[in-house]
Amino acid sequence: MLVKIRSIANIGLESVPIDVEVDVATAGFPGFSIVGLASKAVEEARERVKTAITNSKLDFPPKKITVNLAPADLPKDGAAYDLPIALGVLLASGQLPLPSDIDLSKSFFYGELSLDGTLRPTRGILLLGLFAQKSTPGATIFVPEISAAEASVVEGIIVMPTKSLAQLVQHFTGDSKITPLDPKSITQETETKLIEFDLSEIAGQEQAKRALIIAASGGHNLLMWGPPGTGKTMLSRALPGILPPLSNSEALEVTRIYSVAGLLTPGQALVSSRPFRSPHHGVSNAGMIGGGSNPLPGEVSLAHLGVLFLDEMPEFPRSVLEGLRQPMENGTVEIVRVAGHVKYPASFTLIAAINPCPCGYLGHPKRECKCSDRQITKYRQRISGPILDRIDLFVTVSVVEIEKLSLTTKTAVNTVTSKEAKMQVIKVRKLQQQRFKDADRPLYTNSQMRNIDVKKHCLLSPEAEHLLKMAVEKFDFSARSYFRLIKVARTIADLESSQQILPEHMAEALQYKQIL
Amino acid sequence: MDYQKLANWQKIPELKGLLDLSTPPKELFFCGNFDPEIFASCIGVVGSRKMTDYGSRVVEKIVPDLIFKNQTIISGFMYGVDKYAHQTCVDYGGKTVAVLGWGIDTKLTGDDLKLAKKIVESGGLLLSEWEAQKATHWTFPARNRIVAALSHEVIVVEAAQKSGSLITARIATKLKRKLWAVPGPITSRTCEGTNLLIASGKAQLWLGKSASTNLSLNEDPILALLDQEALGANEIARKLVQPVSQIGAQLSLLLLSGQVLEKGGKYYLADAS
Repeated sequence: MLVKIRSIANIGLESVPIDVEVDVATAGFPGFSIVGLASKAVEEARERVKTAITNSKLDFPPKKITVNLAPADLPKDGAAYDLPIALGVLLASGQLPLPSDIDLSKSFFYGELSLDGTLRPTRGILLLGLFAQKSTPGATIFVPEISAAEASVVEGIIVMPTKSLAQLVQHFTGDSKITPLDPKSITQETETKLIEFDLSEIAGQEQAKRALIIAASGGHNLLMWGPPGTGKTMLSRALPGILPPLSNSEALEVTRIYSVAGLLTPGQALVSSRPFRSPHHGVSNAGMIGGGSNPLPGEVSLAHLGVLFLDEMPEFPRSVLEGLRQPMENGTVEIVRVAGHVKYPASFTLIAAINPCPCGYLGHPKRECKCSDRQITKYRQRISGPILDRIDLFVTVSVVEIEKLSLTTKTAVNTVTSKEAKMQVIKVRKLQQQRFKDADRPLYTNSQMRNIDVKKHCLLSPEAEHLLKMAVEKFDFSARSYFRLIKVARTIADLESSQQILPEHMAEALQYKQIL
Repeated sequence: MDYQKLANWQKIPELKGLLDLSTPPKELFFCGNFDPEIFASCIGVVGSRKMTDYGSRVVEKIVPDLIFKNQTIISGFMYGVDKYAHQTCVDYGGKTVAVLGWGIDTKLTGDDLKLAKKIVESGGLLLSEWEAQKATHWTFPARNRIVAALSHEVIVVEAAQKSGSLITARIATKLKRKLWAVPGPITSRTCEGTNLLIASGKAQLWLGKSASTNLSLNEDPILALLDQEALGANEIARKLVQPVSQIGAQLSLLLLSGQVLEKGGKYYLADAS
């Protein structure tokens, strides 16, 4: 008898329907084979399925069993086909009658089996949910209980959290039905995470804090420059606390990536706060951009709609840094491997921290720099022009002289808490949403504006324009830095709730011009 | 770059300083348009290869003054103080002579080439006593004797205790050239040599223009603050109790109008230099 069970294969963020066809022949020598470009993990499903069936107190039929994963020319990987294969064997061998209330053409099965028959956490459940919703209205999906929460935010499908193969069998025989998971609305899931550092905890560095707020508001890339121990890392750790919460569609977009990467914790339904990724500088190209024979998302994609923080940026391998160019320009990254061609979204805000020289003490008021001229030039050259060109804000984080901080007297004008900053950021993001609502492509922040958008949305007052012209003459700006300056000034004007860009906004933007 | 041999340099009166040397150069080669006038009033500005922030500020302060007095800046075309002195001189439209520590036919690259071209364009000269000679440990001290001999006065900007600039200083003293040294902080290693020159009485203390005690007449509170010391935007905001965004905007305006200068995140009053 032949049974056809529906499942899916995930290639990057795309899902492809897979038919798991199981045939148990009446005649022939006993055997169990899987065809359809199965990888090693799928091949090994034979052993897992066989043992899981036996350990669930069911019979593994001593007959000729053939499993085909169709379409046959698409390579399949992962252990998620264990469940459909096991179910297929049970149905095709006639041990398990198909109840009338279950329609196999409207059901999806997905999950890895352990030897005792329980289902293990499996990645990509959210993608299965979204695929089922799109392709088969009213579909039911049977997925491991631990990972089932991922799909609970998908509307219009029934999610069956399955503990084990035995439980699934009882559901089929009608002995004890599985209770479907309650659908969750996305909004109830987004909550605020605990903040690691509050802005008000960081002593001094008023200008850097201001730059952080501007970066968070307008999605501008930021580079912090200064000797060690001045609070560059601390400042960047405070950033997640002032980032605006994810909108519903954004949360779903981020969760999809994390689902594919298998990075959702069991029971987690959604990634609720903006990602903050800070890879170590030993990261490989594939780790940063994404890779593997079946390409998985890299750090740039995991930081999608969030922040990618590169501490000690010049220590990163040159090729890794140059690899950032495409995602920084397009907001997506395309990975090509023998197995296929995958496109992941990668629209992130880059925050970089660098020392002024290899020893770190160049320009330090008290300590002496021990680097030679050549060493310093070489160190600076590790970050290429094209990368620097894509950074909007440059800020010097200089040494805080404790005695000058006067911690005892409160200077209320310059202390800002993360909570206040977050309110400002949310306000500015709303203004931007309003501004770009008629845009012909998805535009979220000022930093994503192209030159044509800049001309349309950035109204300069005549004085501001005059100031800009003076600055261009004095500092020899390129065309790209010219537009970059206007974009930053736009965000500053938004922070001050000004429709027009006034000279003071332009003047402040000039504070963050390129310094390398 | 094209170079020429300076025929019979011994007969040029402006170069007779070189004859003071016990071993004057046998030949001289140069790049640029030769005009003996350039050697009429030369002042050597030499110093450490490892120039500190202080060193660069000193060069920025003294070189324009010297150019104003129609002096030619002469130095050794080595990175650090030497090259910065050439650079500043060219930037301010002065004439400068670079005495090379290697043969004149050596091909320059990158920044060196850029600077060399600028020197020639602004009417300066590149000078060497060798046609083909690789730079090596003995060529630099040899070059120093020419710098010292061509200069009428020598200013040592920054020098560590063991520094090539001190060789120049020693030769200059021997040739009875007037020797100046710029005082530096006693905590800085790159000022040990210069401070020692002053302390031992070998060099005179260079203070630039007599430190004028101009009263702080600055109306602008930021300028008034900067008159006392160089500060970063954060410190100014803290002292004036104003949001850093406003201070930043005002600083940009002052920067554009040329009233202040910015370096490494700190602001300096422009007319103090």
